[in-house]
Amino acid sequence: MFLRMIIKTLVRQKSKMLMIAFTVILGVSLSTAMMNVMLGVGDKVNRELKVYGANITVRHKDAALMSDLYGLTEGLGVNDKFLHEEDVLKLKSIFWGFNIIDFAPVLEGHAVFKNSNVDLIGTWPEKNAILATGEELHTGLKSLRTWWDIQGEWLNDSDSDKDSVMIGSALASQNNIHVGDSITLTNNGLTKTFRVKAVFNDGGNYDEKILMHLSDVQELMHLPGKVSHIEVSALTTPDNDLARKAAQDPRSLSPEEYETWYCTAYVSAICHQIQEVIRDGVAKPVRQVAESEGTILNKTTLLMILITILSSIGSALAISNLITASVIERSQELGLLKALGAYNWQIALLVLSEVMLTGLAGGVIGYFVGIGFAQIIGQTVFGSYIEIARMVILIVAVILFLVTLAGSIPAIRYLMALKPTEVLHGK
Amino acid sequence: MANNRLRMYMRMVSGSLIRRASRLVIAVLAIAIGATILSGLVTIYYDIPEQLGREFRSYGANLIILPRGDSKITRETLSRLENLIGKNKLVGMAPYRYQTVKINEQPYIIAGTDLAQAEKNSPFWYIEGSWGNSSEPEKVMTGHEIAQTLNLKLDDTFTIQGVKYGERAEASRQDLSAQENQKRDSARQNFHKKLTVKGIVSTGGAEEGFIFCDIDMLDELIGDSFRADVIECSVIADAAELETLSSRIEKEIPELQPRAVRRLTQSQDIVLSKLQALVLLVTVVVLIITMISVYTTMTAMIAERRREIALKKALGAENKLVMSELLGEGVLLGIIGGALGVFLGFEFALQVSLNVFGRAINFQIALIPITIAVFIIITVAASIIPVRKVMDIHPAIVLKGE
Repeated sequence: MFLRMIIKTLVRQKSKMLMIAFTVILGVSLSTAMMNVMLGVGDKVNRELKVYGANITVRHKDAALMSDLYGLTEGLGVNDKFLHEEDVLKLKSIFWGFNIIDFAPVLEGHAVFKNSNVDLIGTWPEKNAILATGEELHTGLKSLRTWWDIQGEWLNDSDSDKDSVMIGSALASQNNIHVGDSITLTNNGLTKTFRVKAVFNDGGNYDEKILMHLSDVQELMHLPGKVSHIEVSALTTPDNDLARKAAQDPRSLSPEEYETWYCTAYVSAICHQIQEVIRDGVAKPVRQVAESEGTILNKTTLLMILITILSSIGSALAISNLITASVIERSQELGLLKALGAYNWQIALLVLSEVMLTGLAGGVIGYFVGIGFAQIIGQTVFGSYIEIARMVILIVAVILFLVTLAGSIPAIRYLMALKPTEVLHGK
Repeated sequence: MANNRLRMYMRMVSGSLIRRASRLVIAVLAIAIGATILSGLVTIYYDIPEQLGREFRSYGANLIILPRGDSKITRETLSRLENLIGKNKLVGMAPYRYQTVKINEQPYIIAGTDLAQAEKNSPFWYIEGSWGNSSEPEKVMTGHEIAQTLNLKLDDTFTIQGVKYGERAEASRQDLSAQENQKRDSARQNFHKKLTVKGIVSTGGAEEGFIFCDIDMLDELIGDSFRADVIECSVIADAAELETLSSRIEKEIPELQPRAVRRLTQSQDIVLSKLQALVLLVTVVVLIITMISVYTTMTAMIAERRREIALKKALGAENKLVMSELLGEGVLLGIIGGALGVFLGFEFALQVSLNVFGRAINFQIALIPITIAVFIIITVAASIIPVRKVMDIHPAIVLKGE
């Protein structure tokens, strides 16, 4: 009998129940979409922030920064310690290897060009390799210099590209060099001719340098298999107190803390693991990039959390509001039931079951609609799918249950206080 | 007569709202929730570029200004530059003067700057100890690299030596004794000063190899007036704005040569436009859904009044009159709910801004009429369909309760 009554209401009051279901669909889809976006946004924004370039550099432990400062290229105190090119690919084998998005080894060199000294930068402009794990790898300096303005074409990985170089815009305009020209570089008695494939504008100190394939610089400098530093771009978790403590000295951590730290993608933890695979390497976060990334990430995530909370509260109130409105509206029908001898609890149970069933149906549809919304946002803004968090189902289900209950309670209380005669009379 | 009709109309509209107080609360609540979300999100959306743009300044200086040729930048040029860029656009503007000095007979570079401005420019510097300031100019900051080489800890002291501005260093001659050499070093063309380490700077970049001190102290030490080698500016602007700013600087202060830091300006444009698109899309989705749910709530509430409308019709009211009464109610609800929502929404946006960015937010006055108008339209639109249905139905049938 009870079931029949519920089914009957659902069928007969189709339009009203549809209205409730519709609002539930809207509300649930909104919360689902927002929560999924909120949980995924950190990762997405983090990837976007990779355009700022490397956030970690790896140098030889004895290398000094002095050569950077004084512009010295030879003599006392200048860096004569190098890392090994063969170690570079090992970066992907660390615990957080998956978080390492791009990396490129760099060998700084110099040569004589038109009777004056120029700085050379040897690197992997593009690198395609297959790792021991079978994973395919595409990386190189190109992905770490997205802000460069290029006339011509980037150097690439192919063999035919050897002997091509890219030249900084300042150097190019000083010497009136254009794309397609040939330049001759001399160092230590070795002379080589290169073809200018592109002119790049960095807006920084690279504009006075020549970018070449790593092997060419190694040959000119007589430093086979050597690199001066490695630039690494990694996805990291913003620092907290634990990370700061660990950055001072990992040994100061308790074993549990150490495990948490090691297994979290803090920039200091990734640096620590890089040092474990690169011989004589010291990995240091580039604070300008690493620290600022954290700031932007935290702010964006917080902003999304607050917008999610607002819209969830909004849709919760809307659903509960509509339920109250539609239950009150049925006072006449329920008044009749009361007049026919139904107990209060029976009526309450009836109303609740109807609303809950409607809410459940709406919630299921709304969840999938919401996932659709989340994917639209992900595709439009970031051009990639947003991962679906299972946790959201539980959160949304609990919220929906409470909201439906909260929406029904004032209505039910109102119904209980009703006098059947008054309602039926139509007051 | 017209006056009487108007008064009656007003009484009917307000009377119907007051009599059904509980439902009125529900309706106003629905509209107010919608209006809060609308005004809150729109306010946030308008403020995002400005607020996030400021956050992006944590990447440091995005405009480097160099002197043209061999000239140096004077204090007068600096203040002209400051006026040209405008104080509200400027996060920090730090002049730098680089000077080679000797510590233990080894060459190092000391950078004189306005430390307070440098701190604003470079929030990403990690300082062990604390930032120096101009009231204690002999307490300076050293780069991590230098601190390691010289084995300096916080509060340690070291002595810098150098040649004053415009003087020539005398080469040490072989025929001089050690004593005479020492005397030469303390002669009037040289300077030396004892400094204390107040902070150790780590950045992971070239800054770790400098000593940072107050620029006035450095000027006094080397016996020269204020001259900067470079000015680092952190300006709230995107790439295009920086471009126009640069050309204005070049035109109005020809002795300066501005250079935008491409890496920061380009990247900021890319990331910021993504974030803005994200907030825009989220705002649109939330708004559409909210509007629809306000609409459905209103429809439900009005559909419920079929009986009352039918009664009015039975008593001889014309369709037009009933319609205008319902629309009047819609307008009133829209105004009340919308006005309530505008202020709640602003309050919400303010809380978000304070929590996320730590800054107050500007109130968009235009939002008051817009929000109210949007919700009047929604309530009116929500009324029309169910009321229309009622119009077509015979009063007798509705009143009978079918």
